[in-house]
Amino acid sequence: MGLGFLVPAFLAGLAALAIPLLMHLRDRNEETPTRFPSLMFLVRLPIRTSDRRKVTDWPLLLLRALAIAVLVLAFSRPFFGRSAEATAQGRARNVVLLLDRSMSMGYDGTWAAAQDSARALIASLGTDDQVALVLFDEEAELAQPWTRDKATARALVDATKPVSRGTRFGAALRVGRSALVSAPAGAAEFVLVTDLQRSGLAGVAGLELPTGLPMRVAQVAAATRPNTSLRAVEARRVVAGSRVQLQMLARVVTRELAAPRTARLSLRIAGREVGLRTVTLQPNGELAVVFDAVPAPATAVDGEVTIDADRLAADDRFHFTLPADDGLTVLLVVPDDVTRDETLYLERALAIGRAPAVRVERRRTGTLDAATLERSALVILWDLAPPSGAAGATLNGWISGGGGLVIAAGQRLGGRRITALAGVAGVNGVADRHAGGGAMLGDVRAEHPLFSPFRSSAAALVAPRFYRYPRLEAAVGSDVLARFDDGAPALIERRVGEGRVILIATALDAREGDFPLQPAFLPLTRRLVLYGAGHESSPLWRTTGESWVPREVRREPVVAAPDGEIIRPAGAGSAAALILDQVGVYSAYERRVDGTPRARVAVNVPPTESDLVSADPRELLLGVGESADSTLRGVEAATTTEIESRQRAWRWLVLLAVLLLLAETVIAARGWRGRARRATVVQPEGSKG
Amino acid sequence: MSSHETFLDPVLLARISDLPLLARTVVDGFMHGLHRSAKKGLSLDFAEHRQYQPGDDLRRIDWKAYARTDRFYVKEYEADTNAGVLFALDVSASMDYASGAVNKFAYARMLVAALAWLTQRQGDRVGLATFSDRLIEVIPPSTRHLQLLFHALGRAKPTGEGKLPLAIDRVADVATRPGIVVLVTDCYDEPAALGRSVDALRARGHDVLLFHLLDSAEEDFPFDAAAVFEDGESGLRLPLRPEDLKERYQTMWRGHRAALEKRFAAAGVDYIAVRTDAPLDRALYAYLDHRLSRSRVR
Repeated sequence: MGLGFLVPAFLAGLAALAIPLLMHLRDRNEETPTRFPSLMFLVRLPIRTSDRRKVTDWPLLLLRALAIAVLVLAFSRPFFGRSAEATAQGRARNVVLLLDRSMSMGYDGTWAAAQDSARALIASLGTDDQVALVLFDEEAELAQPWTRDKATARALVDATKPVSRGTRFGAALRVGRSALVSAPAGAAEFVLVTDLQRSGLAGVAGLELPTGLPMRVAQVAAATRPNTSLRAVEARRVVAGSRVQLQMLARVVTRELAAPRTARLSLRIAGREVGLRTVTLQPNGELAVVFDAVPAPATAVDGEVTIDADRLAADDRFHFTLPADDGLTVLLVVPDDVTRDETLYLERALAIGRAPAVRVERRRTGTLDAATLERSALVILWDLAPPSGAAGATLNGWISGGGGLVIAAGQRLGGRRITALAGVAGVNGVADRHAGGGAMLGDVRAEHPLFSPFRSSAAALVAPRFYRYPRLEAAVGSDVLARFDDGAPALIERRVGEGRVILIATALDAREGDFPLQPAFLPLTRRLVLYGAGHESSPLWRTTGESWVPREVRREPVVAAPDGEIIRPAGAGSAAALILDQVGVYSAYERRVDGTPRARVAVNVPPTESDLVSADPRELLLGVGESADSTLRGVEAATTTEIESRQRAWRWLVLLAVLLLLAETVIAARGWRGRARRATVVQPEGSKG
Repeated sequence: MSSHETFLDPVLLARISDLPLLARTVVDGFMHGLHRSAKKGLSLDFAEHRQYQPGDDLRRIDWKAYARTDRFYVKEYEADTNAGVLFALDVSASMDYASGAVNKFAYARMLVAALAWLTQRQGDRVGLATFSDRLIEVIPPSTRHLQLLFHALGRAKPTGEGKLPLAIDRVADVATRPGIVVLVTDCYDEPAALGRSVDALRARGHDVLLFHLLDSAEEDFPFDAAAVFEDGESGLRLPLRPEDLKERYQTMWRGHRAALEKRFAAAGVDYIAVRTDAPLDRALYAYLDHRLSRSRVR
């Protein structure tokens, strides 16, 4: 470590060096003019004034300038770095080398510079010095524990390459800090080799580093790094006559281009190029590029958008997956005596809307078999109790495996006394509210996903009137999501294995209330179906660092990573999570990688990683506190003597400045300089005659 | 140094702050029966009316004139042989200079005080006018104005830029009756312009005596190192290397002196150059000599 300053702002005082120079050039003796009664004769004399603009006393000028410079340096409180001190005192250095390997380090030339910096640092270590290597992106790992073996550390640096992940300096500093716990005795320091992306600073605040820990930042990126990146894609299915078309849009972001440039964008779906656009990109900005519509694929496919590569190629390719447009199949199981009009409102409501489309299959009781259930997402029992016996077991097994069941309890169920309807609730008669003008929903769990469409318009839920409804009694373990204004449960949920059962205390028709005629009917029933079916809108892509749960694979999931690696997540269902750390498409299978994958997910780098704006090294430590942690043996707290010795220079500088000023006084007062100031008047002899 | 010379040494006199005492000391030390007997016979010839000033005898106020004009006028009577002497003192800032122990202005003040005391002892009337670029204070000549003169001298401060010809013209305006005008100045102006002004004084019947006060540094220019010179009046600053200019300055200075002497001689003005390091007796002798010669001429 070299020279530093405690108060570098005082260095601005070096501008005062101009003062003696200006004084010499302007009017060297203006401060002590020689007064004379009248200059009426002198002004008539030809006077050479050129000397006024010429430095005539270089020694005195240099002496004064030197004195000012020394004083300024003294006030800036210079100090010498700890490592230099440690070396001087024979103490070994313990260097934590934090090497940034995030995607942005793959910018043309940046990674080579980073490796050179890391190698140079390792080469500068002494025999007794030790190094620990921390590689970091969004996460950090101690890739090389403390070692004196410089060759090993250098080999690790050589073997490391940038990865397709973002940057988080906080993670790096935390791992580096933990490395200090096992540091050998000596003087520790951090050396951070990075492009210092500003987007990576989040999370640094609140971190505490050991008091007095020196940290050096080797910023290896160029001041400006022009970049073009693909930020996002959007897919929209549009109906054109009898066909469904796919409209794709890509967002391109440009930063710090020297000039507008032309670029080609290519759209590939299922490995085939289906769109090509040529666009002009501005130096800074975002451009939405719309490709021509193409026939929508019937099955789930993956695709990518590419743009002409620039100096950071990793963000010039964008992956996405398109889910199959097969919609949800809902089995509407109705009693034998039901009329078509009873279910009219529900069927019409579910037929409206796409993404996904809901197909309703009308069934009679006793027709539910495993095969039918397997291709269905939800079963709605229309005023019916679940079947018993083998059919009931099949249904329960299907629900436990992730299926959904909705029971709309109306007059038929209300007329019976049921102890435990599907294990959700008991039915205890019918509430007749004709006399009071009908019941309203009074206690709604607005935070539940089922009611998400009503978070900004809760009044819509209290508009429907219910004149007759079965009195439900929620079973233990069931969750009442809404109640009527008399406190009776109106909507009850119960989780069964991976699936769920929802009981609603109305038959969803207009015979015993006006619910189907109210605006809340359509969104609530659609939401009821989607939620009950466990349908979640899957994103077109995810970013590296996220975790993914292939829910579609219910047993023994196997995931093929983009690079071909086979991953077997521990657990199954919602427990089968894995971290997405590669760019590309992950495919999830059941038991083994074979056939059509059950689920796919596209992964791209976080868009913030394409923002290459660098931060000031001082910003990195904004908000970083200091702690005197005794467990961090690598950092030996500087003693008072050490601290004092590191800052001692200012005293010597003040002393030197005083000596210089004394010398200036002596020199200026002697010889011709002194005569110039005293301007002695010689008394004429014999003047007192 | 003899005892009476001690009382004429400007360095010692400069330590006396009481101007009347100083004047009396100088004159008593100087006069060894040189003076003529003062003509104290009181003439009842009415000379003039003048405006009342504090210190005048109330008995001399012309009450009839007061009744007519509503202002106080004093009737002045004069012995026919006595003269009115108006001392005109230059109080411009250039007078505030001393390369040695005595300031030019301090010397001039001592000189005027002593001359006024001497004049009064001879029975002449004394008055004072101080000026720089304008008249600052005027005390008309009177046998009773000596104390006023001393007070005015005590108050005077050297300040402002001097415009000597203009000031002399103003003095001529206020000195309406022919008498003696004693100019005490450092003569920083063109000899021709000064000559024209004293010509005007002379034309009004005044005898003019001019004391040119000099500091030794003004004459010798003893500076030898580069410095910035500041004009005592205008504040103008001039960076100079005196060693290069000394000879040319002294030549110009001597030319100025010679021109002044020549021009004043032509105007019939007694010109006396007095250095501030010289004793006062030379000035006193010159004054008495002038006074005697003028008496004989009359």
